[in-house]
Amino acid sequence: MTDTADIVVIGGGIIGCSVVYHLATLLPRDTRIVLLDRGPIAGGTSGSCMGHLMVTPDTPQDYAFSATSVRLWQQLHEQVGGFEHNPTGALYLADAAEDLELMPILKRQFEANGDRCDVLDGKQLQDLEPGLAADLPGALYYPGDGVVLPMFACGALLRGARAASPNVVIRPGTGVTGFDIQGGRVAGVRTAAGVIQTRRCVNAAGVWSPELGTMAGLPRLPIYPRAGNLAITAHHTTPVRTQLLEISYLRFAHGAATVDPTKTDEDPGGHAVNLQPQSNGSCLIGSTRQFRGMDRTLNPELLHRSLLRAQRYAPGLAAAPIVRTWVGLRPYSLDKHPLIGPWPHLDGMWIAAGHEGLGISLAPITGLLLAQQMAGVATAVDHTPYLPGRIL
Amino acid sequence: MNERILDADVGIVGAGPGGMAAAVELARAGLRVLVLDEGARPGGQIFRQLPAGAAGGKIAEPPSHHHGHALLQQFGAGAITVRSQAVVWNAQPGRLWFEQEGASWLLRCQRIVLAPGAYDRCIPFPGWTLPGVITAGAAQVMVRGFGIRPGQRALVAGTGPLLLPTVTALLAAGVRVVAALEAAPRLAALKALPGVFGNGARLREAFWYARQLLQRGVRLQWSSAMFACEGDGVVRRAVIGKVDRHGRPRRETARTVDVDVVCAGFGLVPSIELGQLLGCAIARTDVRGGWCVTVDEVQRTSVPSVLAVGEICGIGGGEVAMAEGRLAASAVLADLRGGEVPAALRARVRSERKAADAMLRAFPPLPGLYELADAPTIVCRCEDVPLAKVREAAELHGRDARGIKMGCRAGMGPCQARICGPSLQAMACGDGRVPMDAPVVQVPVKAVSVGTMLAAPPG
Ligand SMILES: Cc1cc2nc3c(=O)[nH]c(=O)nc-3n(C[C@H](O)[C@H](O)[C@H](O)COP(=O)(O)OP(=O)(O)OC[C@H]3O[C@@H](n4cnc5c(N)ncnc54)[C@H](O)[C@@H]3O)c2cc1C
Ligand SMILES: Cc1cc2nc3c(=O)[nH]c(=O)nc-3n(C[C@H](O)[C@H](O)[C@H](O)COP(=O)(O)OP(=O)(O)OC[C@H]3O[C@@H](n4cnc5c(N)ncnc54)[C@H](O)[C@@H]3O)c2cc1C
Repeated sequence: MTDTADIVVIGGGIIGCSVVYHLATLLPRDTRIVLLDRGPIAGGTSGSCMGHLMVTPDTPQDYAFSATSVRLWQQLHEQVGGFEHNPTGALYLADAAEDLELMPILKRQFEANGDRCDVLDGKQLQDLEPGLAADLPGALYYPGDGVVLPMFACGALLRGARAASPNVVIRPGTGVTGFDIQGGRVAGVRTAAGVIQTRRCVNAAGVWSPELGTMAGLPRLPIYPRAGNLAITAHHTTPVRTQLLEISYLRFAHGAATVDPTKTDEDPGGHAVNLQPQSNGSCLIGSTRQFRGMDRTLNPELLHRSLLRAQRYAPGLAAAPIVRTWVGLRPYSLDKHPLIGPWPHLDGMWIAAGHEGLGISLAPITGLLLAQQMAGVATAVDHTPYLPGRIL
Repeated sequence: MNERILDADVGIVGAGPGGMAAAVELARAGLRVLVLDEGARPGGQIFRQLPAGAAGGKIAEPPSHHHGHALLQQFGAGAITVRSQAVVWNAQPGRLWFEQEGASWLLRCQRIVLAPGAYDRCIPFPGWTLPGVITAGAAQVMVRGFGIRPGQRALVAGTGPLLLPTVTALLAAGVRVVAALEAAPRLAALKALPGVFGNGARLREAFWYARQLLQRGVRLQWSSAMFACEGDGVVRRAVIGKVDRHGRPRRETARTVDVDVVCAGFGLVPSIELGQLLGCAIARTDVRGGWCVTVDEVQRTSVPSVLAVGEICGIGGGEVAMAEGRLAASAVLADLRGGEVPAALRARVRSERKAADAMLRAFPPLPGLYELADAPTIVCRCEDVPLAKVREAAELHGRDARGIKMGCRAGMGPCQARICGPSLQAMACGDGRVPMDAPVVQVPVKAVSVGTMLAAPPG
């Protein structure tokens, strides 16, 4: 069977779905866009993660990128709908003295970007979230964050894409097995179900994106899986209403990894509490980080430590039944920033991958920037820091 | 801190016929046996014991249950430690973690025998979530386990050999059985005969059931099913009618009966999750209820120190479970003490399995029954997902269990797709072209609290 497409997008996670949505809305309606995933839509990392829409104010660049994306989620919710979107904001909590010092730093960062966040003392925190331990010294509350249910968000983006264009084709269960390359550029994508002739394709395969690069004979992409253990409680048991994080998360998650991600047996792993109430009243408890290859078996040690911390902040969790635990793999890029743009070594090959623990937050802006680059129009925010050429 | 660690030679999960039979033999040989069971009293699903002093009196039982009573007696008299209301939530070879009365325990043992039984298979139909609509299994639990009469006027419907005990239990409890509907054609009764004739006990059992029904004037209606249940907050009426040989409803035959309880039984699904967690190989057999833990000729799983008996190895009934329990005990003894497994025990399991398989083969899954549900019918009860959403999810996200789950949350709730899983793919895809996925499993296999997980003694 031979098929043709103007653009083939590989990977039906949150990034691939957003790319398809933005291509479908930006390009002419007769553009044939085919989305391929070897498994189900949202069956990879985007179905094994949390849904915190997080604004990161570390640098003005980060802020512009993430805040725009979180705003785009709000718009998508209004214009496309069909997924849960809860603009709850986020509480940053601290316990240890060295973590308390991070509070004023984070506050200044938000303010430096013209945004705001509120300092809560212990009593205010108790009034807002009576389910938290009474001895907590206080918290920062940032109102701009939100929560989505990532799997439904993937589906919604694809429904939106179909609504925008009759030429969007979605093919779950169709894995890419290779590429046809002619005259130094992409000519086709091979799958078990046949070849799709195309001159452009987008590698949005998250932690699997290096595999695809290798299939095309390209140098290995510097993206590595960073595992996270999660647990979810039964319905109606969440002790908190606002999603919250340990502020040490910033140091731990956003700082460069202190371990070499290619050495999969050397990372002792770490954790920072992230509690995320769901609309059905269950509470998602995260999260840990560890480089250990593609291994998706639970690390009981790390999960234990993470549950212990969670219970420290929300003692009521002790009685909450855990319905399930699982592991997701974050696509960590070596310089901590995603790769969004053309692959410098092969014409027609584009990439949108490497979002580590922020792929859900950054999906709309990623899809938009990639689509704008492919359409050859001006980009909404500066896209140059994310061009793959910087590290390839 | 670590006083909640127990040691035994053999840890057994499940105090049904399989687990009890294994325990009795192992204890008799002098091994230290510890049995963990979720229920309030030993007995498992079939030999349910009423709580002491419960109302309801004695329930008429088929002849085979005498074996059960004898077993229960031996079990009670043996040097066996039983922990009831103990939920096993995590396991590794030689280690079983369980929660009992809110406390977190670890059992260390040389061998594990898994005998966790089965779940009711649920097939959704309009109105099946109304109060008053229960599974055939639940009806038996109420009558035989608690002495509760579930209603006055009952409809029993579904398919497979478990409908009869449900009918007799209801009758014994004084419930009027308005209709008893078997979806399989009458031919099934004939097809089951070879299995029954080869096996004296089963033949006596079949006659016993036939006589019970005859005496009470209840006639089993073949090729029939309930199409829907109706009511204002509780079930008041059931729409019933004929089905074709695939189980597809023949809507033109629909009629209504007044009822206040509906017992739906579509067979059982093996409870394999502990086996999977331990890393035991599983295989799918349509005859025996779907995915089962694979065992060798003496009940050993693919994991050296783990054995499995009863429904977890494929639906087969109480006699199979008892025979397999004894065989597994003998295999453990041979293994720990040397010696042979008597050929007679193996032969017994083979013949019980043969009879059970013949019976089950006569009542194959009827895919047409999945057409009973309409678009608003809830398929996943935990997450409240209607069929329409399941279909949409399959269309967009992919026609495997994971795609359906990602697209509509079906299977993500507390039951972790143990109830809806077998229906989901069948209903969303319908055409049978999609191979059924193996279920996946993680810690905890049964929901336990964060506190229990944190207090778990390290292995
Ligand atoms: C524990 C955890 C918690 C997280 N919490 C958050 C959070 O709160 N907020 C946030 O913003 N982010 C969070 N993240 C990060 C986020 O989940 C990821 O960054 C994001 O899901 C990555 O999306 P993706 O589309 O790049 O990858 P994926 O979702 O993995 O999609 C890639 C797809 O490519 C497919 N594929 C692979 N190979 C092939 C092939 N050969 N052919 C066809 N298809 C192929 C895969 O099947 C897969 O579906 C979290 C991650 C984890 C693990
Ligand atoms: C609801 C129902 C009604 C039935 N009625 C009949 C009938 O009338 N006639 C007939 O011939 N057959 C009947 N059967 C079939 C019968 O149950 C089996 O053939 C027989 O009981 C199988 O024995 P077993 O030892 O494999 O499992 P079971 O008897 O089911 O015993 C398994 C035990 O393990 C326990 N258990 C499971 N998982 C765990 C865990 N993780 N931790 C702790 N404990 C656990 C369960 O609570 C249960 O007590 C019925 C089955 C069901 C499910």
